Amino acid sequence: MSYDDFLAGEPLIVTAALTGGVHGKEANPNLPETPEEIGRAAAEVEEAGASVVHLHARRPNGERTFATERFQEIDDAVRRHADDVIVQHSTGGTGAPDADRHRPLRTDPPPEMASLDMGPLNRYDHLTSENTRGLVDSLHEEMVDRGIKPELEVFNDGHLNEVRGLLERRELADPVYATLIFGPGTLTPPRPRNFLNAVDNFPDGALFNTLGFGRHQLPFATMGILFGGHVRVGLEDNVYYRRGELAESNAQLVERVVRLAEELGREVATPARARAVLEL
Amino acid sequence: MTCPYLEYRERTADRQFDESRAYCAAADRFVQPMRADICNDRYGLEHDRHCEIFLEHAGDEADANDDEGEATEG
Repeated sequence: MSYDDFLAGEPLIVTAALTGGVHGKEANPNLPETPEEIGRAAAEVEEAGASVVHLHARRPNGERTFATERFQEIDDAVRRHADDVIVQHSTGGTGAPDADRHRPLRTDPPPEMASLDMGPLNRYDHLTSENTRGLVDSLHEEMVDRGIKPELEVFNDGHLNEVRGLLERRELADPVYATLIFGPGTLTPPRPRNFLNAVDNFPDGALFNTLGFGRHQLPFATMGILFGGHVRVGLEDNVYYRRGELAESNAQLVERVVRLAEELGREVATPARARAVLEL
Repeated sequence: MTCPYLEYRERTADRQFDESRAYCAAADRFVQPMRADICNDRYGLEHDRHCEIFLEHAGDEADANDDEGEATEG
């Protein structure tokens, strides 16, 4: 994907990461945590122009859970409130046993998409999300069995090598779809030259999604729009609307990026169009 | 075993929640949901090995700065 794809008028897929598993209402009270809150937020972002919702599950007190049953409750709420949005489950989870990482894949019906982390990242001072190749392969195996499209999460440039390694050892359904992630710590440093470098190193024919953390969310979304990629925004990745001002909702963040895309002349995909682009 | 500094509170002077949330009495603040796994020693995590706040309060020289973490798990 490239600037030529932008000029060619490829539609933009907007993903809304509604809740995440790291921070919660202690960071922004508008962040949805319960199934009902997440379901309503899904409807709001769909109305605002998102075609994919990226979901994590929470216990009633906001803490993380990987329980299939809780993902089922969330999916049921999303389908009750939203019209046609694509459901994407997270399989990420620092410290969680590998068996638990599979549990988000086992809802009925399965999610249309699920995240697949491409390698390790550091957490705080004493933790690492390992994401071994063995786990990546076993998660991908179950995704294939259940007809779930993987969203490959590329936390840094080394993970581009891991994408190529995955493509060498396993067959992935076309089109390959990966999220390029920019921010602090183990992530690719959020500099425009690094974005261009990542795009240059992307496998031919693959589609990319663009994710910048915190204050980098909007600038990197803009670059994603201009270089023919897709965009992820949401309270999982950024709890602010602007410096010092908490976002009112996930929809507020989606509305802004949709306005930007329209101003730049990029059509925003409906869920049906996004399914066609992603070949779901 | 859970961290001895872990408390569950519905409110402080300026915040209120519908459900009681993890609160770190050592750092005097609410705990991120992912860190609550460490507080509660879930998933094989251990607060006395993996929490820099506990280690600092237990006399370890660990840096308690938590601003460098990433905000997503994929």
